[in-house]
Amino acid sequence: MSEIKHDPNYPKRGQVLFATLFLICATLLLAAIGDQTKWLKGKAFFAQPRFWPGIGVGGMVLFTALHYWNLPRRERRMPRWIREADWFQWAESLFWGVLAGVLALTLGPVLAAPFVFLVATMRISYIYLHKMDWKEAKVWLSVFEWAGWFLAYVVLVPVLGYLPMTLVFAPLLTWRMGYRSRRILWSSVGFGVLVVLVFKAFLQVKIPGALVYEYLPGTIRNFFILNL
Amino acid sequence: MDLITEFFTQMGASAGILARWDVALALLVGSIGGVLIGAIPGVGPAVAIAILLPATFSMDPIVGLTVLLGIYGSSMYGGSIPAILINTPGTAVNALTTYDGYPMTTRGEARRALSLAYSSSFFGGMFSVAALIFFAPVLAKVAPMFGSREIFLAALLGIILVVVAHRKHTLIAAAMACFGIWLGTIGLHPASYSKRYTFDQSWLSGGVNLIVVVLGLFALSQAFVLLQGDDENVTLKKMKGSFFQGFRELARHPRIAGASATFGVVMGMIPGVGEFTAQFMSYTYAAKTSKRPEDFGHGSSEGLIAAETANNAVPAAAMVPLLALGIPGEALTAMMLSVFYVHNVIPGPQLFQNEMDFVVALYIALALLNVLVVIFLLVATNQLIKVVKIPNKFLGVCILILSFVGVYSLRNSFTDCILAAGFGILGFILKRLSLPIVPIILGMVLGGIMEVKLRSAMARVKTPLDFIDRPIAAILFVMILFVLALHVRRVMLDRKERKAQEWSNSHASTSFETNLSRRKASLLKARGKQVKERRSTFSRRSTDSD
Repeated sequence: MSEIKHDPNYPKRGQVLFATLFLICATLLLAAIGDQTKWLKGKAFFAQPRFWPGIGVGGMVLFTALHYWNLPRRERRMPRWIREADWFQWAESLFWGVLAGVLALTLGPVLAAPFVFLVATMRISYIYLHKMDWKEAKVWLSVFEWAGWFLAYVVLVPVLGYLPMTLVFAPLLTWRMGYRSRRILWSSVGFGVLVVLVFKAFLQVKIPGALVYEYLPGTIRNFFILNL
Repeated sequence: MDLITEFFTQMGASAGILARWDVALALLVGSIGGVLIGAIPGVGPAVAIAILLPATFSMDPIVGLTVLLGIYGSSMYGGSIPAILINTPGTAVNALTTYDGYPMTTRGEARRALSLAYSSSFFGGMFSVAALIFFAPVLAKVAPMFGSREIFLAALLGIILVVVAHRKHTLIAAAMACFGIWLGTIGLHPASYSKRYTFDQSWLSGGVNLIVVVLGLFALSQAFVLLQGDDENVTLKKMKGSFFQGFRELARHPRIAGASATFGVVMGMIPGVGEFTAQFMSYTYAAKTSKRPEDFGHGSSEGLIAAETANNAVPAAAMVPLLALGIPGEALTAMMLSVFYVHNVIPGPQLFQNEMDFVVALYIALALLNVLVVIFLLVATNQLIKVVKIPNKFLGVCILILSFVGVYSLRNSFTDCILAAGFGILGFILKRLSLPIVPIILGMVLGGIMEVKLRSAMARVKTPLDFIDRPIAAILFVMILFVLALHVRRVMLDRKERKAQEWSNSHASTSFETNLSRRKASLLKARGKQVKERRSTFSRRSTDSD
């Protein structure tokens, strides 16, 4: 069936879900190409502003669809009455056919094609999505917590200052990760100080002085804004 | 004679560029930092280079490049340490080292394995630098023959090779490369002043910054992976004795070392191929020509030499397409390209023609780096291996803090950080599913190059055949066709094999009825054995002779 089926190092959970999501996004982007790029008259074909985005988005749709086709899949087991009811399958086919026809008539065939493809993708993915895919999706969602920590850090640095914020953030996140030993908490603090000194004080990387530093007295204020 | 004097004047001029305290410091920091980073499993050179990139923008090009090149060249030395001692490759390219390195550790030869790895890495590194310094005049003659269409074809070849190199993931790798190409096109199209995929958002009109994508896909995603995972318990034993014996042992295998280093240099120069192919080819070569091929994978010193020599010969060679044509062949050199762009130095044939000093200086820096690293490792290995013990989640915290410096110092923009976090999540998902990430970066960089070069090349092309009427263009075109043909052939062979497996009648059936009958047969067999045994207790055959 697939070239990756027999590889023990290749996780199967989540593959169909990822392919589905990526294909949906790619299809939507392809549908937007007429709106988001221009085709200029009098310009050569290869110099058109639409040429390379077209290759990119078109390739995304094509290759992701082929990848999806090639994935090891397991079919959803439908209730018995659906499996046995011929009329239901006929009716469903008719329904999708009519929907595609109506879309083509109202939007025009070119504009409707991506949407028909999209609907077909979703219908097919309904068959092949498995319980394990949703378990994997939960893991993906759990990463948003770490992204949230990162963004909170980003928001607070210009307010509280790079050094103070790092000195709070590093041990706090270390604590959140489940470390309780004094040694590792202190080493996280030390790491934070080291990073600030190396990047801000020594390499003079561009990180703006904090709002809080404005309240410091004269010379200390300048020193803080420049170095910490 | 003329050539030799010319060579020495060249070396003198280039050494002058390096004789500065900041370059020396960069060399030291890059080499020791690279070894440390390589030795920590979970942090590769990609993470480190991505984080340091924005900091190097304010430095001189030669200083910034020396740091990055130092990390690139020395991380593989460090990566071999955990590969040999705890069977976990420190960087991705050390995966092959575990095959023969770890079995040597299990039979108590850890010190021999490590010293062999250091000495073969050193040989690979020095061999490639020497080869490239000697070939540089030749390259300087060939490089100007690359016009727009040749560079376009070389970039195309690079993208195709990267996609094809991801065995078993070719299709999704192609999709990712196209994703990268599309990402690169976002923003204002400079040739026509028309917006592309900006969705009327002002923050998108400047385009998606490569550094933001790189930091998200490599650094943040790795932080997420580490934070999500578990800590491992690592036990290490202290090693006694010196690490010098490896050089003597390496000297007994000159053929394998030479061939592997050559594979490394040649494969490194072709964009999109890189370490893995070089290692694979030299390892196969070593196994086929060895007197004891059965030892490979069970602690063969020749296997270790082949793997380590090949991967360390690549970095110097990988700089060739970057410097001579402006085409990066892999993620790390793609990141280094942005250092050039920031300083408005566009690498290409002109760089090789006019600034040979700069190029040779980089190579001398690389050679010095190898010497520094080997001295450092010979002295400090026992202290260094302690970094392996840093717990994974704590490492994740550290990378998250460092990633902030990388993203935020670029433009002090919050949207950049959100974008990087988004790419971090995408990278995390791709890593979980073991899908390829590198094609995205290469698609982004090479896509931009291809767009510009194709436009200027097509201006002078009337018929399609005009495109390949120059010798180098024709060679590149034939290479592209050859690579595609090889790939098609391999896909067909794989397919045939798969079909043969599906149709063969000796496989374990998955059908329910067959399983039942098999179960029944095995139960009956077990029962039969039991009965036989019981009966035999009553009439046991005598084994005594009397």
